[in-house]
Amino acid sequence: MKLYNINDPICYSFRLLCVLVAEKMLKVPEHQVAGHIAKDGKLGPLVDDRGRFYKPLQGDARGENEAKFYESFSSNKNVPDHIRGYFPVYHGVQLAEASDGSGKLPHMVLEDVVSGYVKPSVMDVKIGSRTWYPDVSEEYFNKCIKKDSATTTVSLGFRVSGLKIFDCQESRFWRPDKRVVLAYKVDGARMALRKFVSSNPSADSVPDCAYASEVYGGSNGILAKLLELKAWFETQTLYHFNSCSILMVYENDSGGDDERRAQVKLVDFAHVLDGNGVIDHNFFGGLCSFIKFIQDILESSDNRCENGH
Amino acid sequence: MHLKAPEHQVAGHIAKDGKPGPLVDDKGRFFKPLQGDSRGEIEVKFYESFSSNTEIPDHIRRYFPVYHGTQAVEGSDGAAMIVLENLLSKYSKPSVMDVKMGSRTWYPEASEEYIRKCLRKDARSTTVSSGFRISGFEVYDHKELSFWKPDRKLLNGIKVDGVRLALRKFVSSNTLSDTSSKPDAAFASSVYGGSNGVLTQLLELKTWFENQTFYHFNSCSILIIYENESIHDDDARAQVKLVDFAHVHDGNGVIDHNFLGGLCSFINFVRDILQSSDESTENN
Repeated sequence: MKLYNINDPICYSFRLLCVLVAEKMLKVPEHQVAGHIAKDGKLGPLVDDRGRFYKPLQGDARGENEAKFYESFSSNKNVPDHIRGYFPVYHGVQLAEASDGSGKLPHMVLEDVVSGYVKPSVMDVKIGSRTWYPDVSEEYFNKCIKKDSATTTVSLGFRVSGLKIFDCQESRFWRPDKRVVLAYKVDGARMALRKFVSSNPSADSVPDCAYASEVYGGSNGILAKLLELKAWFETQTLYHFNSCSILMVYENDSGGDDERRAQVKLVDFAHVLDGNGVIDHNFFGGLCSFIKFIQDILESSDNRCENGH
Repeated sequence: MHLKAPEHQVAGHIAKDGKPGPLVDDKGRFFKPLQGDSRGEIEVKFYESFSSNTEIPDHIRRYFPVYHGTQAVEGSDGAAMIVLENLLSKYSKPSVMDVKMGSRTWYPEASEEYIRKCLRKDARSTTVSSGFRISGFEVYDHKELSFWKPDRKLLNGIKVDGVRLALRKFVSSNTLSDTSSKPDAAFASSVYGGSNGVLTQLLELKTWFENQTFYHFNSCSILIIYENESIHDDDARAQVKLVDFAHVHDGNGVIDHNFLGGLCSFINFVRDILQSSDESTENN
């Protein structure tokens, strides 16, 4: 779908049809772990029942920048196909009823990354040892650097932004408070990544990492996907993915076929800039650090299996 | 012991205004004054740890200066000096470049004042934008038969294009002080390329950095050295060395993502120059 100019009178009736169709099916996403939440009359994203995610374009430059990125990326011939799969599919911009009751707002229409999952465990990890970038305002820089230093961004090159893990022992989702997640230090981040692949995430006891090899390991596992992304980041100079997140998703209830369907997607492109011939060394460094954490967990869980635990 | 000031120092402290600078002897050793504050202590601690660390593979150890302990040296008020391998002693006409690696030179353990000072310098240079900055270089001009080094102030203000130009100049034979002619990058493949060239060595280091969690090499530099005497026989003897360990801290189970990101970016810059110089020789 092409980008609609919302003031174009010729498209009015078609737009109206889109809005009416969209209105019937939009609801608050169930599995959102980070970013603005469309709850209690707040403005936030919505989903329909056809696998699409509607992200409101806020009045500021960020929404515009994100849409601009998606437009550029979808038509960029220099992005290899196997890398394209790590990005949500873009379906242009549409008018939809805003979640805060403020009327019809343009929304970016994206692939809903978690649609098609029955009980997805989801984790959002913001990649990079800094979330600020050259030429930002002093105010924004100060806000970023404060948060980067208070979390694991500076020390680890990434921070956990949100998570929701299905606890198969308790048969319910475990979702720690956002403030707790943002207070994680190195040990907390490591523990969260271990809990992410455990059957007992909500327990105080040591995470069992029961699903580490199924979810992180294997030829279709998360580690294999991260390594593929890493290879692209070693040389791509198209974009700098400032403040972007990696979303990890996997299935807990596939109805008998035991397929984890682990997925890795890059999300949140409000601060993406042109690469201008330089690699995204900030993202690359953080991604390598994140990969090492996953590898360590995989190795220690493999060792336990070998020792008969 | 016959000590004198080193000839080809391109960055870092030099002997000035009564403050001691580094010295070299005629036996291939480099004497670095221990800086008054904790920095000298940290550097010694690093060298002590590194030399006895059995988990450092041999092929990586070669990228670090050999450490010979500390020594009090006469004429420097009995102040202790770190004794290291003189990296240039086996070169007769070395071109040398010092590249400070990492998109930030500060680190969490540093004081607020130090962090602020670093942030300013990092933002003004190519550190933030490119993940590294050129601290200094000296290159041999084969026409003028003398060494040339760019003005320090000029170097501090360069941006990405300036970095690319400097990396080309570093491997060029044509008159460098003459800004009207484009640097010929005549030695790009002898120095940057080949199975023992700079690019190969940097890639070996990169692989180690993807896994090593022993040290965080804050504010360290990579020194690139090559021989001009034999370069026309295609024998550049290019070498990559890590130097300046005054701010190194324990890795604590985390990789040095700051150094690694900058190193990967630097590798791309070097590779671009190698590829464009290969293309131009093909077209000739």
